[in-house]
Amino acid sequence: MTKDVKLESAKAPKRKKIASLDRRKARAGWVFVLPFIIGFVIIYLPMIYESIMLSFHKLEIAGGNKAGYDTIFVGFQNYSDALFVDPNFVQTLISGLKQLAFDIPAILIFSLFMAVMLNQKAAGRGLFRAIFFIPVVLSTGIMESIAAMDIMDDYMGSDEGIDDGSGQSAAQDLVSTMDMERLFANMKVGEGLVKYVTEAINNIYDIVNRAGVQMLIFLAGLQSISPAIYESCKIDGATAWETFWKITFPMISPMILVNGVYTVIDSFTTDSNAVMKYIANKYSEADGNVISSAMAWMYFLIVILIVAAIASVISAFVFYQRKND
Amino acid sequence: MNAQNINQKPVVKRETKNKIRVDFDRTPLKDRLKAKFLSFHFIAKVVLWIFRMVLMIGISYIVLFPFLTKISGSFMAPEDFVDVTVRLIPKHFTLDIYRGIISELGYWEAFMNTFTLSFCCAIIQTFICCLIGYGFAKFKFKGRNLLFLLVMLTMIVPHQTLQLSMFMEFRYFDIFGIVRLLKGGGIELFGHNIKDLGEGVAAVFEKINILPDEIKWGQYFTERGVEKWKVQMEVTEAGINLCNTYFPLVLLSLGGLAFKNGLYIFLLRQFFRGIPDELEESAYMDGSGTFRTFIQIILPLSVPMMITVFLFAFCWQWTDDFYTGLFFSSTNVNLLTKIVDIPPSLKLEYAGTDLYNSAIRNTCGLMIIAPLVILYAFCQRFLVQGIEHSGIAN
Repeated sequence: MTKDVKLESAKAPKRKKIASLDRRKARAGWVFVLPFIIGFVIIYLPMIYESIMLSFHKLEIAGGNKAGYDTIFVGFQNYSDALFVDPNFVQTLISGLKQLAFDIPAILIFSLFMAVMLNQKAAGRGLFRAIFFIPVVLSTGIMESIAAMDIMDDYMGSDEGIDDGSGQSAAQDLVSTMDMERLFANMKVGEGLVKYVTEAINNIYDIVNRAGVQMLIFLAGLQSISPAIYESCKIDGATAWETFWKITFPMISPMILVNGVYTVIDSFTTDSNAVMKYIANKYSEADGNVISSAMAWMYFLIVILIVAAIASVISAFVFYQRKND
Repeated sequence: MNAQNINQKPVVKRETKNKIRVDFDRTPLKDRLKAKFLSFHFIAKVVLWIFRMVLMIGISYIVLFPFLTKISGSFMAPEDFVDVTVRLIPKHFTLDIYRGIISELGYWEAFMNTFTLSFCCAIIQTFICCLIGYGFAKFKFKGRNLLFLLVMLTMIVPHQTLQLSMFMEFRYFDIFGIVRLLKGGGIELFGHNIKDLGEGVAAVFEKINILPDEIKWGQYFTERGVEKWKVQMEVTEAGINLCNTYFPLVLLSLGGLAFKNGLYIFLLRQFFRGIPDELEESAYMDGSGTFRTFIQIILPLSVPMMITVFLFAFCWQWTDDFYTGLFFSSTNVNLLTKIVDIPPSLKLEYAGTDLYNSAIRNTCGLMIIAPLVILYAFCQRFLVQGIEHSGIAN
């Protein structure tokens, strides 16, 4: 025994010269993520620092022969201005949050539903897949702003004359609330739900547009569920409905977490978001309007809080399959 | 019926050397059809199929209809927009709008510029995100989780928040004051410049002035003979002016900080996690280094996923108007996202002006995404294929 110990201790110093495999792997890991670290330190950190600093300052056009702006420290004035002086900011913020509460369930349910549909082996699956992912690839950036100015769509879809005047067209209003309400009146599901469903259907284009990435992630999740589980379910006599709730839903719950967080982030940061639009307008209103910076940071804090809240709520229900390998 | 059949003896119909064909008397066709088509199972299947198809076709219609109106509107003559009888099919078929956009808005030049920009950025982003994603997926090192949180942070911070500072960063680009030093501006520390120490020190530092006042290359002349440069950057003590060049977007891509790169890194990390470790271990056993393993073994395996990321990066850069609007203010670089305008020859004042202008803008949009449609047609099958191997669930 003692001999063995001695031998090992004699060997140890020699080994130290070559770093252990773990160490070398750790070093390689650092090298792989190095581009991000460099970019973050050189480009991103200064940007964030400057932006936060700007929100505590005021810009004034420099006097004399100096070019550019002078910055004057004003403390929290920009923040208090945004909250208490600006008449529209708080309102826009609250309505934006309400919109979010409406959007997230609609997008999540729709994308999960569509992913399940697209995952079934049936005729035309490839074609429908190709069509459903068109918006996420094509209707972004400049196309969004073109669509915002577009009046052709309503005109083409309407079945009335050019000066309709009602502002609503057949294509826009796929289902009228009246029809739906009549349909649901006997089912006693509550007015709120009816309103929610009709609104979701009227906004279906918007929802389809924004559910692309989520659909993709759900599809990936569905693909990774082993067919053996479904087979054994079928043999045990489970119906499709039971299989969905007892197998598919728990297995895909990690994806619901990912998609929930992604949807919040995505709908908060798109250009079409009302608050984002408001902040962008404030920014372009006058050069050196730093109040937009303060607004954006407050907004960001709220986003972080909501993301954290949603993540913690959903993750309580997430089911993780234990890895066997 | 069945009981009868079983009682009947099988009839040998034909016999060859090593095959015997035996036939029972079959159930009559009518009964077979009845059994097949009148069962509950079959009817449920048909109803489900119809429901599915209606839903799928309905949603496809919702997705495709805006494109349809844009296409039909792009072929219409101005008269068609005041004609109440014209809806989706143009009465006076014309290509005027296309002609106007191509000749008067400089479509081809913008196309080439946008292509160069998007292609460079997409290639860089795909490769860099692969590197970073692989690093996060397969190596354990201190601070890995914290770093990944920072990646998520870059995704969560809305880019409007950083608008102003991002513009300033690249308008006066300087890394740790190197440009200032080389331009004779001395070194600035905590708000005080070293040059303030004394005139002798200032003179020494002012002698270091090795950077030119302007960096430019790629001279060309416009049709009217005006001298222009492809890249023209002004260098002052405050930094290099990178605006109106491709550098800001390329630099952001190099750092994995460009639009939605956090998402790409996340997707790639999940993908690489799904690749079994044994693969790399056997490569290490054979004496292959980490990078060689990555380039020669891992990357070829992840081609579908890389194409997915490339497709997203390319298309989102192609249609992006936030970054291009921020960094490209001059008319030197014409980009596709900046050509959305009414061509001078098509400016009309009549009852249908609003609709006509809208149709022209829509046509601009169509011409912007036309190349993407072709790319998408080729790449879309990788879109799902790439993601479905990622095994995100684990």
